[in-house]
Amino acid sequence: MSTIVATNAERSVPGQIDIWYFVLVEVVIFSSYFITYMLYRIWDPALYLESQAHLSQNFGALNTVILLVSSWLIARGVQAAREQRYESAQNLVGMTILCGVLFIISKLFEWSSKIQQGFEFSTNQFFSFYYFLTGIHVLHVLIGFVFLSVVIYQLRSPQRRSIKVIESGAIYWHMVDFLWVIIFALLYVMR
Amino acid sequence: MSAVASELAAPPASLVGRIGWHWKHNPKIELWIMWWAMVCFYQLFGVVFALMTRVMPPPAPWWDQARIVQWFNDNHYGLLWGFGIIFLVAGITASMNALIAYSMTRMSVSRAFSYIYVAIYSLATLPGMLLTAIFLTVGALRPDRDPAVISWLYDASFTAFVGTMGVFLIGTSVWMLAVLLDKNRVFPLWFAYLNICNLLTEIVVAPMWIFKEGPFAWNGIIAFWVDTLVFVVYTIAFITLLRRLIVREDFGDGPLPELEQRT
Repeated sequence: MSTIVATNAERSVPGQIDIWYFVLVEVVIFSSYFITYMLYRIWDPALYLESQAHLSQNFGALNTVILLVSSWLIARGVQAAREQRYESAQNLVGMTILCGVLFIISKLFEWSSKIQQGFEFSTNQFFSFYYFLTGIHVLHVLIGFVFLSVVIYQLRSPQRRSIKVIESGAIYWHMVDFLWVIIFALLYVMR
Repeated sequence: MSAVASELAAPPASLVGRIGWHWKHNPKIELWIMWWAMVCFYQLFGVVFALMTRVMPPPAPWWDQARIVQWFNDNHYGLLWGFGIIFLVAGITASMNALIAYSMTRMSVSRAFSYIYVAIYSLATLPGMLLTAIFLTVGALRPDRDPAVISWLYDASFTAFVGTMGVFLIGTSVWMLAVLLDKNRVFPLWFAYLNICNLLTEIVVAPMWIFKEGPFAWNGIIAFWVDTLVFVVYTIAFITLLRRLIVREDFGDGPLPELEQRT
């Protein structure tokens, strides 16, 4: 890999610069959600602590492991593409999508379990934030499927295979993972 | 066409002379008229909705009937004069939609994109602006009505203004898809991604229909302030990029020429 990087001296950052602008804007927007959550939490800590106790940390940890594995898989996929092992790269990106599907299934299962227990979107402010943050994140996972499908489309034909586009898809997916880690820390772990 | 224009004598030095020259000879004059109409409209929109009618930022959703009636009384003349202006100039939004649709016809994508965009956005002024203007004007002009009815008008106005989503969601998606598929590089790729941020705000406002207070209410930090900030950034970006499009326009079919680097 070091050889490849060295021979591409003009490449200062992986992926297209446009995807980095997008990641920057997304991180700023999500940061505003996180700061808002923190402010409301500070104003009513008892409600948030009591409500948080109804979330399963095991579920949150499982979600985190699934997404961390997916990030590892997509990183391996990009590496395979750089080394021109395109079939292996396709399989790794396919497995990344599979992890994303598993994440969504586990999230749907968790939401339905919470609703059955009587914790809905309007139950209290903590659960409003819980459904909002996890919901908007799931939307980003769904958009991630589009990015990763484009990556597979790129990998399938020798006429395409733009490493910049492949890296851009991976960068988006890493952002989805990164945002989840913060959401997990804020909603499930922080006491 | 631009070659023909360049062969003509240089425009006169005086402002009036220059305007006259461009009116007669500049092949991009119609595009510039559309662009300036869009800029003027957004300026007016800001003045009317933020300063005259006090609709932005929105007042509280949790007020009782007496407080709502008082809000209409406090803003009586602002509402009437402000929305009077809006009723007069609302049609200018058509020039903005036309210019955006034009940008899509300049791309390598099917013209169906621009047709869909115009069809969808021809509906946009209604939920985005006119319903609010009509309801609030009615409330301001009928202060003798039952406070319960005035409160209904107030709720309907602000839920329509902040919470209507579908038209903008689909319209933004169409523009985003066109930019992503375009090979003529009419807009940079980052603008397609910025469309994703904007269309997500249309989903983020949805909880506003449920809550009367907190961050997800129609005046909340998330449903109003963050979303509005994203929309303002998005609007500044597309107005700037449309200007660049007009400057770069060569009336050809292939890739749009890049601007020359200033040294």
